[in-house]
Amino acid sequence: MHIPDSFMPISQGAVYWLIALVFIVLALRWVRNEMSEEKVPLVAILAAGVFALQAFNIPVTMGTSGHLLGGALVAIVLGSPFAAVFILTLVLIVQGVLFGDGGITVMGANIINMGVIGGFVGYYAYHGLRSLTKNMFVSAAVAAWLACIIPALVAALELYAAGTFPLVPGLVSMGVYHALIGLVEAAITGVVLALIVNSRPDILDRSTGVPA
Amino acid sequence: MISNRQFLIGGIALALVIGVAAVFFASADPDGLDSTALIVQGQKDLTGPAGPGAEVDEASLPGSFEYNAPFADYTLEGGSRLTDAGLMVAGILAALVLVLALGKGLKAYRQTRSS
Repeated sequence: MHIPDSFMPISQGAVYWLIALVFIVLALRWVRNEMSEEKVPLVAILAAGVFALQAFNIPVTMGTSGHLLGGALVAIVLGSPFAAVFILTLVLIVQGVLFGDGGITVMGANIINMGVIGGFVGYYAYHGLRSLTKNMFVSAAVAAWLACIIPALVAALELYAAGTFPLVPGLVSMGVYHALIGLVEAAITGVVLALIVNSRPDILDRSTGVPA
Repeated sequence: MISNRQFLIGGIALALVIGVAAVFFASADPDGLDSTALIVQGQKDLTGPAGPGAEVDEASLPGSFEYNAPFADYTLEGGSRLTDAGLMVAGILAALVLVLALGKGLKAYRQTRSS
């Protein structure tokens, strides 16, 4: 779901960059205040893992493929949506600058979609669902699905404003494909969370709700 | 429970295996965004595959900025799958090293402030 430069006028990309910068500053405050020395290896592995998993496109039928976005996973594991903004920003910079995956003038929009919306939807959906279901894996999977489809619908709206997609067909197509891609997001988020719970439950943020 | 060192090494190894596997096994089908663009441009329908050689026509789109990334599409011109795998490893390590370097810088910053 990396929007390329050709999909959006520079002026609109600049607006999304300005909004993204506000969240990047807040994410850097999270880094300064919350990223303790003990958390650095986990943050680094999550950045590397999100980069790798975003390169792994899995077919989801209908001649379409999709990959993990990772915003929900990062926000749940590290206990803050700003952690997702931070990691997704780093990953998107490396992808965009070195590999042309996602544009430069539209990087702000990509940061907003995958980092900000993905992170906030994933984090708050997880906590809301966990208080209802009492099951961290089900909550994480459903939150991850939501953190895939909602940014996709927002991207459809952004690209409608850009004049690239018509409104209804854009929403329908992005919605249908990302409802399926969201299943990939849900499965990978649940598996990675289970891997961490089974290997190092102590490094998960306390808000994740893993039993001590 | 595994140690910090085991966790870090295991995590890096897993990321590298996934990234290198992606070079060889990832689907070449367009992603959800590109599929939507192909539908809008009449080259695909919602439920069917895109035709052979279908590509998003960038010239008809509103973005005018062009940037040529050094390793566009995770490949090197004239390279092989092996060099693609090398690029993927480099990208994964770049993301990792950026965070580790920031962590080091942060530690130095905190020490300066507390002394």
